[in-house]
Amino acid sequence: MRPLILSFCLAVLPLSGTAQSQPEVVARVVDQHVLPGFAALESETAVLADLAIRDCNPFSSALRRAYGTAFDAWIRVSHLAFGPLEDENRLFALSFWPDERGMTPRSLERLILANDFAVESQQEFATVSVAARGFYALEFLLYDQRIISTGSDEYRCALVQAVTRDIHQTAQELDLAWRTGFADLMRNAGDNDRFHSADEALRTLLGGLNHGLEYTIDLRLGRPLGTFEAPRPLTAEARRSGRSLRHVLLALQSLDQMTALMAPDKDGVAERLAALFASAITRAQLLDDPVFVSVTEPEGHLRIEDLQRRVSDIHDAVQADLIPALGVGAGFNALDGD
Amino acid sequence: MPSRRAFLAGAAATLAVPTSGWAALGDPAYLAAARRDDGTHALHGLSAEGQILFARPLPGRGHAAAAHPTRPEAVAFARRPGVFAVVLNCADGHAEATLEAAPGRHFYGHGVFSRDGATLFTTENDLDTLQGRIGIWDASAGYARVGDIASGGIGPHDIARLPDSDVLVVANGGIATHPDSGREPLNLATMRPNLAYLTAEGGVIETQELDAALRLNSIRHLALRADGLVAAAMQWQGADDAAPPLVLTHRRGEAPRLLSAPDAVHRRMRNYAGSVGFSRDGTRLAITSPRGAQTQVFDTAEGRFLRTSRLPDVCGLAPGAEGFLVTNGQGVVAQLGDRQTVLTRHPGLSWDNHLIALG
Repeated sequence: MRPLILSFCLAVLPLSGTAQSQPEVVARVVDQHVLPGFAALESETAVLADLAIRDCNPFSSALRRAYGTAFDAWIRVSHLAFGPLEDENRLFALSFWPDERGMTPRSLERLILANDFAVESQQEFATVSVAARGFYALEFLLYDQRIISTGSDEYRCALVQAVTRDIHQTAQELDLAWRTGFADLMRNAGDNDRFHSADEALRTLLGGLNHGLEYTIDLRLGRPLGTFEAPRPLTAEARRSGRSLRHVLLALQSLDQMTALMAPDKDGVAERLAALFASAITRAQLLDDPVFVSVTEPEGHLRIEDLQRRVSDIHDAVQADLIPALGVGAGFNALDGD
Repeated sequence: MPSRRAFLAGAAATLAVPTSGWAALGDPAYLAAARRDDGTHALHGLSAEGQILFARPLPGRGHAAAAHPTRPEAVAFARRPGVFAVVLNCADGHAEATLEAAPGRHFYGHGVFSRDGATLFTTENDLDTLQGRIGIWDASAGYARVGDIASGGIGPHDIARLPDSDVLVVANGGIATHPDSGREPLNLATMRPNLAYLTAEGGVIETQELDAALRLNSIRHLALRADGLVAAAMQWQGADDAAPPLVLTHRRGEAPRLLSAPDAVHRRMRNYAGSVGFSRDGTRLAITSPRGAQTQVFDTAEGRFLRTSRLPDVCGLAPGAEGFLVTNGQGVVAQLGDRQTVLTRHPGLSWDNHLIALG
């Protein structure tokens, strides 16, 4: 696996102490974080789908590499789970995880054993269970011993091609929906029905940030951690392809970049958040445990718990410092409970 | 929440029930109040899929509503300290009656019908004594005021009825307020909320208080399962650094059971649960926090935390096809099962605190 590189190399301009208006912050996040993220997802999934047409062997290192690169691009935007990702069930079509009931392997097996003709057209495939679509289904097709030895090579090849084509189709729709509509709705909040104010648009972006942090704390780290007495390493995300820790890192780096675009310089808010992200990222980089198997040992468990605590510290600082510093108001119900 | 279906099923055996008038309205599955973009308020009937079937204007901000078991009639309550409640004929939107709080009283925002639909009970504040009262109204005679009984505590907020009985369950929030001082709690030093079971005649059958250490945990909202299990949601009035449980379950004659997620996840609720509800099959229960922007789901039998789902400004909560339906202040109606999916988004509407299931 190639080393992690920050693919968002776009300059994050220092905010130099000037108070930024909410519409400016929204526009900056949309232009420098969201749109490049979905554009990268579109292009990386195009490469993956194209390659799969020529090379659908699950053991092909080129195919596995393309899978990894496309999955990376998805993890970097997976926290932006609103708007286009919320529509048409796209979030789950790309990302059916966690899968508590084992529906992904079951759905794949059913398709394979039936030689289901749904793989023959994109239109048909878009109607199969979301559990058999997206990156987590593809992981089973490329890395799960049992799935790889089920049914015929020809059918599984067609299925790999169908899944990658479908992932690319969804990514294209996302990219298009953001570029040709949703980005402007956010930038021009206040002039449309979807966002009644820049405050609401900014709150939505912050919701994405919180979602990414909570997902990392609760699921990416929380699931394998389980409890000290009962750790659950087999529930780690994307462990079959050895990507569990990598996802934590990718998510943190992407959320760090997003936060830096929002955090104002005043009162040291930006600095404090950057330091908290750096601390968590460094801790993750020092962990030599790609799929968190060490949760079963006391020391390993403590180390990963420590990483989880550092991500929780970021989450706390977002609520305590960042949101107030941005002057974001509470919602209708949050403001005035009863 | 009175279960119309359960009522109909039970009643059909003993008496002839007129066809439910709700059918003429497209058989709404839910009621919810909302603020509209222009600042006006309305009560809405929603389909199971979250589509708006009707909207009837309200004179001010609504809170909860009580649906009549058989007639297409809903009582929409003003939020506290409101002095009106409107009985809306949902078929044509006209106000069949307006309940005005008795002199020296205000409503808290919730109410419930008796099993036969003939009587409406409302939670009220006695402004002289700041004691909780339950107002009694004759729903078969133009909603005339019949009288009142003690609520068994201070600050009664939500009220429900045990299934297949006329035993009332009251969440006495414990907080004394007076409109002269707004929503300011006046009795934090002595506050002691409780869950009270009452007869319609005013007899107190059972009262449950939390431990003294939790006396600042205001018991505010209720949900009932078909077998009589009560769930109650709390709002913490104490120090921010404490994070006590925000939901309990209780069965009459037993001790309450407190439920909460693991500490870090629990703290995201920001010490505030806005609504509580059981899943349609009763195996799960959930609480919403608009402040924490999440809904947390628990296994009812084990009391085990299952998952949390993020939705900004979420508050309304009711049983749904996949488990639950939730609403928020941005017009969203979402389905919550293993996963959360947005069903509809109504631009320009802010759903208010509660989503009332009709079936």
